[in-house]
Amino acid sequence: MLKYAIKRFLLIIPIILGVTVIVFTIINIIPGDPAQRILGVGASEEQIRELNHRLGYDRPFIERLFNYVRDIVTRFDFGSSYQNGDSVVYKIRLNFPYTLKLTVLQVIAYAVIGVTLGVLSAVKQYSALDNVVRVVSVSLAAFPGFWVYMIAILLFSLKLGWLPSSGVESWKGYVLPVACSAILASAGLQRLTRTTMLESIRQDFVRTARAKGCAEGTVIWRHAFLNAMLPVLNQVGISFGMMLGGTVIAETVFAMPGLGSVIVNAIQSKDVPVVMGCSIFLAVIFCVIVVLLDLASAAVDPRVKAKFVKQ
Amino acid sequence: MKDTKANAAAIDVRDLYVEYRTDDAVVRAVNGISFRLEKGRTLGLVGETGAGKTTTALALMRLLPDRVSHVAGGEIYIRGDDVMALPDRTMNLIRGEIISMIFQDPMTALNPIMTVGDQIKESLKIHNSEKRSEREIDARVDEVLELVGIPAERKKDYPLAFSGGMKQRIVIAIALACSPDILIADEPTTALDVTIQAQVLALIDELKQKLGTALLMITHDLGIVVKTCDDVAVMYAGQIVEYGSVQQIFSPGDHHPYTEGLFGAIPNVRSKARRLTPIEGLMPDPTALPEGCKFSPRCPKCMEICRTQEPAESERDGHRLKCHLFGGEAHE
Repeated sequence: MLKYAIKRFLLIIPIILGVTVIVFTIINIIPGDPAQRILGVGASEEQIRELNHRLGYDRPFIERLFNYVRDIVTRFDFGSSYQNGDSVVYKIRLNFPYTLKLTVLQVIAYAVIGVTLGVLSAVKQYSALDNVVRVVSVSLAAFPGFWVYMIAILLFSLKLGWLPSSGVESWKGYVLPVACSAILASAGLQRLTRTTMLESIRQDFVRTARAKGCAEGTVIWRHAFLNAMLPVLNQVGISFGMMLGGTVIAETVFAMPGLGSVIVNAIQSKDVPVVMGCSIFLAVIFCVIVVLLDLASAAVDPRVKAKFVKQ
Repeated sequence: MKDTKANAAAIDVRDLYVEYRTDDAVVRAVNGISFRLEKGRTLGLVGETGAGKTTTALALMRLLPDRVSHVAGGEIYIRGDDVMALPDRTMNLIRGEIISMIFQDPMTALNPIMTVGDQIKESLKIHNSEKRSEREIDARVDEVLELVGIPAERKKDYPLAFSGGMKQRIVIAIALACSPDILIADEPTTALDVTIQAQVLALIDELKQKLGTALLMITHDLGIVVKTCDDVAVMYAGQIVEYGSVQQIFSPGDHHPYTEGLFGAIPNVRSKARRLTPIEGLMPDPTALPEGCKFSPRCPKCMEICRTQEPAESERDGHRLKCHLFGGEAHE
C-alpha cells in the first residue's frame, strides 16, 4: 500500500510539469505584452521596451520557460508579480486562506446536501419526495450561478436584511456564497448518488443483510451506501478541485478576497509569474486530492485495492 | 415465547398468493399454495425456473421487493406467528435468529466491502439475546467458520479472496450463525461444482441433525431431493401440483404428469433410452396464465376438462395431487 501511495505521489511531478508548459505557452500566446498593459496606451515605445527588458520579457519564449522552471526547481522561486513586484508566494499566502475556507465550506455543504437528498430519493424512489427533489434540483442546476447569487443578495441582504451582501468580516459573509453554490452544485451529486444507490439497493447482498435481521437504517447506510460510495466520493473530490478554481464568480459578486480574482486579474494584465504560480499551486492541490481519493478508494474497497496493490 | 408456540408448525403456509406488479402487467408468481413444515423435518420445493419457488421463500422471510411485489392473499405462520401482521422490528428479530435463508448466488450474496468475519458477526450482534461479550461473539464467528470448513483465521479476508464454493460456505455460515430454528436453502448448490455440492449438502444435513432445524430445500435437482428431503412439493406455475413424502413421489404409482415429465428429463444410466424426454414447451407466461389447469398446454395427457376447469386437489395418505386425472373417483 505504501509503495502504491509513493508511486502515485511521484506521478504528480510529470503532470505538474505538463501543466507548467501548457499554461506558460497559453499565456504567452495571448496578444500584447505586460509592459504595454502596465504603462497603458500613453507610454512610448522606448518606455515599453525598457520595462519589458527589466521584466525579462524580451528574451525568447523557450529561454523564459526554461528559466522559470529552473528557478522553481533550484531555488523554489516562483518569481514576483510584473505589476507591483510582490512575490507570488506571498500573494498566494495572502489570498489562498479565504479561497480554501470558502471552498471547504462549499464542499462540505455540497456533499451533505447532495448525498442526503440522493440517498433519500433512492430509498423512496418515485415517492412525492423523490419527485420534488429531482425536479427542484434539476431546475436549480439550470440557473446560472451568478444570477442565483444576485437574486440571493437581493432577497436575503437587501430585502430581508438577514445577511451581509459582501465582505468576510464575520461568518455571516460566507453563508450566502456557500449556500448558493452548494445547492446549485449538489444537483449533480444528488443524481449520481441516487443512481448508484438505486443500483446498490437492488444487490443481493443487501437482501442478505435484511435476511440477517439488520434494521433498515443499517441496511441502507452500512450495506447499500458504503457500496455506492466510491463514485460519490470521487465526484466530491473532483468537485473540490473544480470549486477551488471556480471561486472567482462568488468572489466577484460578494466582493470577497481570494485566489480566483487574483488569477483573473493577472490574466487580464498578462502577469505571467502570478498566473503561473497560482495555476501550478492549484494544479498541485488538485493532483494531491485525486491521489488521496484513489488511496481512500483503495482503503474502502478491497476490490479497488486488489487491482493496484500486490499482496 | 418459544415454549408457548412449541406445538406450532415451523412453517405453515395457507393459500398463499404473490403478485409482481409492473407498469403494464401483473405477474402471478405464486397462486394459492399451502404447505406445512414441522420442526426437524425437511421439505423439498421442486420445480423449473420461474415456478415461484424463490418468491415463496422470500414471502416467508417477508423479503419480497417493495413496491413491485406483494402478498395478494393467504396467510404465513412462522412458528405460530402471523408473518404478515408482525411489526417490522419484530420481523427483524425473527429474521436471522428464527428463520434464516441461504441464498442462491454466492457470488453476489456477500457484501464485497466487508470482511466475511464482520458479516457473520453482524448477525450475531443483532440477535444477541444471550448477552454475549465481544470476545464470545468472536469465538462464535470462529466456530461457525470452522463448522463450514473454513479456517477461522480467514475471517479477516474480503469475499473477493474466496472461491465460489467457499463463498457459498460463508453464505451458509451467515445463515447458521444464530442457530436458526428454520432454514430456507434456495438452490444452495446450483452455483457449485459437483464435488463441492456433495460437501455442502453433507454439511447442511449434518447441521440439521445437530440442531434439529426445520429445512425448506428449494431446488430443481431431484437427486438432491431424494438425498435430503422427507417431503416434496412439486411446484408448477406458482402452484403445488403434487405433494407427498419422498417415498410417495419417487415410487411408481399415481403421479402428476408434470412430475412424471420431470423424472423423464433426468438421465439414467440404467435405462436403455437413447435420449432424454424433455417436457415439451415452456412454463406459461405468468402475466397470462392459461385457464383451467396451468399445465394443460404442455400436458401429454391433457383432456377437454383440463382446458376449462381448474383441477381440485385430491388426497390419499398425505399424497396430494392437483390433476383431473385423479380428481374424485379416478384417484380412489
